[in-house]
Amino acid sequence: MRLALAIASFVILIVHGLVFYNQFFHKWERHQTAYFDQARAMAKSDSERAALEGRSPRIEQIIVTAFGGQHQVDRCTTCHIGSDDPRFKDHAQPLRSHPFSEELGDRMVNGKWERRHKFSDFGCTVCHDGQGRGLETFDAHGEDHYWPSPMLGYVTQNWRGDFKPKLKDKALMQANCAQCHTEEGFKNAPLVAKGRQLFFEKNCYGCHKIEGLSAGTLGPDLGEVGKKFKLDYLWESIVEPRANSATSFMPKFGLNDEETKALVVFLKSRRGINFSETSLDRYRASLNKEKQEAPIGTAAETAPKVDVAAGGSLIALGERLINDRSCLACHKLGNRDGGIAPDLSFEGLLKDEKWTMDHFRDPRSRVTDSIMPTFNFPETEYQAMTAYLMNLKTPPSLVDPSGMYSSLCARCHGDLGDGKGMIAVYLDPYPRDLTKAGFMSSKSDERLMNSIKNGVAGTSMPAWGRVLNDDQIRGVLDHIRKNYVKEPVRQIKARQVPDTNPVASDAASVKRGEQIFLQRCTGCHGKKADGKGPNSVDMLPRPRNLRNADFVNSTNDRRMFESILYGVQGTAMPPWLDYGLTQKDVGDLVNYLRNQSVRDGKR
Amino acid sequence: MAKKSYFNALTELPANIWQSIFRNPLPSSDLGRSQTSFTNFFLHIHPVKVNKHTVKPWFTMGLGLMTFFLFVILIVTGVLLMFYYVPSTEQAYNRMLDLRSSVAFGTFLRNMHRWAAHGMVAAVFLHMCRVFFTGSYKKPREFNWVLGVGLFLLTLFSSFTGYLLPWDQLAFWAITVGTAIAGYAPVFGKEIQFLLLGDTTVGQEALLRFYVLHIAVLPLVMTMMIAIHFWRIRKDGGLSRPEEADAPSRPQSDSLDTWPTELDVASAQPALAAQVVAVPAIEKKRYGIQGLVRGPFTKVGNVPDNSVFSWPNLFMAELFVFVVTVAGVIVVSLLFNAPLEEPVNIAHPPNPAKAPWYFLGLQEMVSYSAFWGGVGIPAIEVLILMLVPYLDRNTKGVGRWFAKERLLANTLFLIFVIVNIGLIIIGTFFRGPNWEFVSPW
Repeated sequence: MRLALAIASFVILIVHGLVFYNQFFHKWERHQTAYFDQARAMAKSDSERAALEGRSPRIEQIIVTAFGGQHQVDRCTTCHIGSDDPRFKDHAQPLRSHPFSEELGDRMVNGKWERRHKFSDFGCTVCHDGQGRGLETFDAHGEDHYWPSPMLGYVTQNWRGDFKPKLKDKALMQANCAQCHTEEGFKNAPLVAKGRQLFFEKNCYGCHKIEGLSAGTLGPDLGEVGKKFKLDYLWESIVEPRANSATSFMPKFGLNDEETKALVVFLKSRRGINFSETSLDRYRASLNKEKQEAPIGTAAETAPKVDVAAGGSLIALGERLINDRSCLACHKLGNRDGGIAPDLSFEGLLKDEKWTMDHFRDPRSRVTDSIMPTFNFPETEYQAMTAYLMNLKTPPSLVDPSGMYSSLCARCHGDLGDGKGMIAVYLDPYPRDLTKAGFMSSKSDERLMNSIKNGVAGTSMPAWGRVLNDDQIRGVLDHIRKNYVKEPVRQIKARQVPDTNPVASDAASVKRGEQIFLQRCTGCHGKKADGKGPNSVDMLPRPRNLRNADFVNSTNDRRMFESILYGVQGTAMPPWLDYGLTQKDVGDLVNYLRNQSVRDGKR
Repeated sequence: MAKKSYFNALTELPANIWQSIFRNPLPSSDLGRSQTSFTNFFLHIHPVKVNKHTVKPWFTMGLGLMTFFLFVILIVTGVLLMFYYVPSTEQAYNRMLDLRSSVAFGTFLRNMHRWAAHGMVAAVFLHMCRVFFTGSYKKPREFNWVLGVGLFLLTLFSSFTGYLLPWDQLAFWAITVGTAIAGYAPVFGKEIQFLLLGDTTVGQEALLRFYVLHIAVLPLVMTMMIAIHFWRIRKDGGLSRPEEADAPSRPQSDSLDTWPTELDVASAQPALAAQVVAVPAIEKKRYGIQGLVRGPFTKVGNVPDNSVFSWPNLFMAELFVFVVTVAGVIVVSLLFNAPLEEPVNIAHPPNPAKAPWYFLGLQEMVSYSAFWGGVGIPAIEVLILMLVPYLDRNTKGVGRWFAKERLLANTLFLIFVIVNIGLIIIGTFFRGPNWEFVSPW
């Protein structure tokens, strides 16, 4: 007992010693002592030397009051005590003095540099980020991965190894220049200017809102994105949109590193209200913005107002708008291809004017789960762009079925017919996987040809009957069956399916249908019947979105009954006949789904 | 003469001062030992003599005392931290940064407070287990067990309220989750949540409320309850012990041979040793009765019995527990820094947002059923815990670890302990984003 007591007491003693040692011998004291010693050696006069004698190590701090709502406390100069002493320009850190440069606005006056951004006014973290209150390198530089603003361009915390080198670059600090220098094209922050340009060039503005710049609603608001996220997160979100949100439908834009860096810097500079404005400025700007028809900064600001009557120039204007508005950042037209959205090269053949105008006004009114932004351009511009698109009536060269497949189908269904075409991931529902024999061989030729000919309502599948004649369509289908399905059509056993729903659609039936749906279907199709049930994430093809009114309305009762009672081969949809659903149950279900579509249609 | 008396007075001054404070010299006789216990404010809560069974180290393992000492450490470090803390959403986090960087011993204080708090939650739970497994809650100690369960809950609540104060992401979301669990209670759930938060979400009002609860209300209530808890130990006749421990022992076995011989006063103080060896001589001494107490009370002068003097046997053991507790806390505090995550970002919840570890068992249960996991089952558990001494009418097996007579009760409690610890472990290590099952390695 005594021994244990003695040992425990000894431990206490030792630990206290260590704690006291840590407390009274700081690294920063050593830096300051070194600074005093060397400064004394450099001193030219006695008074200078005397002044140095009077100094002893202490915590230095700059309290910055002019930037941001809160007072900022920067203790960086405790270690970097020589930062404003030009004699230390060749010393090793932490004593080295901050460089002077014309780019920073420093000026040479009488052979001496004068700082534009005086440390006493600006502190350090206003430009560099990091944690002003810290006194250990680990804390102060923001190396602790919990710290939200590590030193820009210097500290990369625990970020992904492949990003780290790209994010170690002094130029990234330009993001902080833009906190005050908000004017467009400020020449000493070229990355911000370039990023801003890319924001419009790549149509980021279509989906993302940044107050004062854009009004997109499909994607997250980016107005404070620089405050919320670190550089690595921004970079990752741009190059791998699904990395942080598995359900993101943001396209990969295929930017090179330079462009990504510029965008990252631009986004990092978006921190809500910046230093150069007040909330009152903000409010005034928002009042002004409402008066404008087009989002600020887009081509619409500079586009000439057109006289619609002058039809001849309408097409030319449409062409220019389509180019200016970066439609081709996503779509394909002629030789230019954004690799994200459908081919517009012969849109005039596939769609009519009404469809196109409706689709411009609200893409989701035509393709329920489209990711195309609603751009809110002026109506006259929609008309011009529609006019131009409707004028694109040159059919692609259609020689043989394999050529037709690759020029018309492969963009979505893939070169191998596996439904993994270039733009497939951006379409909802996904393009059908044509290699799934279970599906392909259980469907009659009529049904498949009908889908090709008339398209599938509510999806991105266009009506190819407008380009191809029946023989050509049969040729394409044969090509698909021969090369991709590789299995003959199975003779399906006779199925007992009514042509029309025998159950009358009334409130009671709809109610019963809802009950059955909630019991049986929600696991995959979701409670809202939008195809997003909890099991849906593991399924390909995805469960059908049954709130897609266009699709539901265009699908006849017979097909509904068949799909529910006998399942859809090649998908996860089981034959519910085997699980005890009767024809009457299915009738109730169909009534429920149709009833929902009617409501959706009215919306 | 006068000169000499002045000089004498001066040389005697230190001794006089010492005596005025402590009243007794270091005790060298049984009378002295008794008087030391009586006359010292901090010691007089102890009986003069305790049963030998009480000072057996493996009987209590000092868990209750450890909890108390951790509480003392928390009060001391907490008061020091209060000098730097401001319960404001604007400033709290910056104060944490200052504590870490520029306040003398700031990090160390915070570490001590943090780890002592976690340690107290653990120690109080282990203490409860000890009391159960030794059957120590039985008559006449029933109500002290109820008080103990109350103190356990208060400890959890204290730790929980303190969790919010650093105002970082960890704090914010843990409290958001924790108070949401309170919101699942039927009828009054939302009202309780609102009462706690002073708002519908965690914000300035919640921070202020939690601060006041943490630094004033709960410590005061706990101090009161601890005092009652201790007082009742004495009134209930000291720590529980098996009946045979009270039987008068043979005189020769009264020579402090079990644990007291480890103290081995003989080599250090021969004079004292002589006293100790000459124990049978005590027979001649008589002591006054200090109070009228019912029940099996450590009897003074009723020798030979199975008791030893508190000084030094009990006090040495207590000192040992104290030193070990302090050493443990400061070593841990030196090795591990208390976590401080990002400043609060309401728009960016971590995934998963986890409550403090001691509530992760609750959170795990909540993931199955909000009401039953968060409110129903815990309420039933607490109720049963409180009623344990009244439900268990078996009078056998008091004062022994895992007594055979208590097989059923002990098994049930063991299952209760294992299930709860298991849930906490699952919640802590096996739950990833969206509360999905993940493997920690």
